Amino acid sequence: MKDLSIIAPLYNEEESVKPLYEAIVRAVEPLQLDHEILFVDDGSKDGTFRVAGELAELDKRLRVLHFRRNFGQTPAMAAGIDHARGKILITMDGDLQNDPEDIPRFIEKIEEGFDIVCGWREKRQDKLVTRKIPSKIANWLIGRVTGVPIRDNGCSLKAYRKAVIQKIPLYSEMHRFIPAMASIAGSRIAQIPVRHHARKYGKSKYGLSRIYKVLLDLLLIKTLVSFSSRPMLWFGGMSFLSAFGSLTTFAIAIARWNRSEGESLVVLNGTALLLGALAIFLLFAGALGELAYKTGNLKMTTLADIRASFSGFEKPQREE
Amino acid sequence: MQSVIDISVIVPVVERYDDVAELYGLYKKGLEDSGKSHEFIYVLDGDFAGVLEVLKRLIAEGEKIKVIKLARWFGEATALTVGMQHSSGNVILTLPAYQQVEASEIPRLVESLNGCDMVIARRWPRKDSFLNRIQAGAFHILLNPVSEFKFHDIGCGVRVFRKQVAQEVNIYGDQHRFLPILAQKYGFRILEVKALQSKKDTGKRVYSLGTYARRMLDIFSIFFLVKFTKKPLRFFGILGSSLFAVGFLILLYLLFVRLFQGVGLADRPIVLVGTLLVVLGVQIFAIGLLAEIIIFTHAKDIKEYTIDQIIN
Repeated sequence: MKDLSIIAPLYNEEESVKPLYEAIVRAVEPLQLDHEILFVDDGSKDGTFRVAGELAELDKRLRVLHFRRNFGQTPAMAAGIDHARGKILITMDGDLQNDPEDIPRFIEKIEEGFDIVCGWREKRQDKLVTRKIPSKIANWLIGRVTGVPIRDNGCSLKAYRKAVIQKIPLYSEMHRFIPAMASIAGSRIAQIPVRHHARKYGKSKYGLSRIYKVLLDLLLIKTLVSFSSRPMLWFGGMSFLSAFGSLTTFAIAIARWNRSEGESLVVLNGTALLLGALAIFLLFAGALGELAYKTGNLKMTTLADIRASFSGFEKPQREE
Repeated sequence: MQSVIDISVIVPVVERYDDVAELYGLYKKGLEDSGKSHEFIYVLDGDFAGVLEVLKRLIAEGEKIKVIKLARWFGEATALTVGMQHSSGNVILTLPAYQQVEASEIPRLVESLNGCDMVIARRWPRKDSFLNRIQAGAFHILLNPVSEFKFHDIGCGVRVFRKQVAQEVNIYGDQHRFLPILAQKYGFRILEVKALQSKKDTGKRVYSLGTYARRMLDIFSIFFLVKFTKKPLRFFGILGSSLFAVGFLILLYLLFVRLFQGVGLADRPIVLVGTLLVVLGVQIFAIGLLAEIIIFTHAKDIKEYTIDQIIN
């Protein structure tokens, strides 16, 4: 078990690999911690893997994982986390936009007793319309829905205790919600400002099309949160709404029973029946959702248990 | 474990089969020409007494054939999986139990595996009947949007691949046809090689209506499997919310004419259509949400990436 693992996903970052490696070493070496660096090559098409491999041959503390093809940033982070051997994990971008000089401050915060430390980019060096504004909206929305006001969910530079992050499901693009998920479960989260540099090499790989995905993911998180605290609330509420609509329509139909023609009765009663069917469907869908949640191997509450067991966290052993 | 065998040949006997002894002779010759050591594994998917008889006779004559008989019909994908589990070679060659590709092409196909993980044969030039060619064409037009690699003959059962592919890609039911698509999704390199079509493969084949329906379901399921396994809500969400939106707009319009133009609603059946669409939209969306909850709560068991190599 090492003290510290630094994880950076790389995708087509041939020019950035070496400067990134050197910057990390420069920042981490003075800390005198037993550390490792994990580069995850996300199926790059350029020479990223070759360059990283050459560096790894000279330095045994550098480990390189090579994906068979491009799987995306979150799977790359998940792979890094799965293979990390440190007690504290630090994730960062592989494109030199994060500054490794900030790492020591993250470790200080973890040593103060926080479980997750999120960076937020103080002076963000990105395009306003396509990057900054959508991310502002997303952060605001995520904060509102989950009740965890994280300033900058999109900043990759974060530090975690391994025991906490390992319990959080990380797939598709869920990395955005790590702090929210962890906080709901009772982890202590700190936020510190970090430096942010404009891209030197390569191109930005993200665009504007993510809003729809973020919204759906957010809905999922919201549903899961409601399952963990008040089961059935979500589906039950919707079901109640349709039942109400159904009964209202039915009441109108009965009130008009004597003075209306056959066709209008069909329309009113038909609507009532449809809404009634929806109410029943949603009730059972809610039950099914609970079943899936209960039998699944992940519960939000297990995260809280870990938090409790970690209250007596020791400081990482420093090498003499 | 060091294996002495280069190639494990798996022949699944599922529905269609030609003269077993003759075909075995052809295949054996093809493999001997390739100069690689090999083993034959026949997997009988259910009760094929006649085939078993012939195989027993061949074994009695001194041929080295491993025969696996499944207790009942399980589907070709299962037959292949069982065969792979019992194979000991590092390379697996699957051959159909009927003549599809000229056996003399086998050495060339095996040779093509250098530098990639899976070679699939493409029957070319096609000698099938016009009808079969149209069927195959339509199938691939529907199928190809799913995958990055454009396949031309995914129905061809002649495939060569490394054992690793079989170990990492799980298939079941009727998915054997889509093994290359799934393998490619896992990041394996695929190559399509043109091979001469067997003369006996040219007869006109018309399938039952049920078969066509099953093929359509296959395409639907592979589409879902490849695109949305991890994020089912994206698929159901777009379907559900568009139905909901149409229904909602209809209802909104009706509400408008009711309130401001005084048109009665009770005798307009379009109310039912609007409500039905809203109901359907909400239901599909709810199903997507359920699917997503299942994925989320099991996410720790699902690995989304495949690692090729680890240094240090």
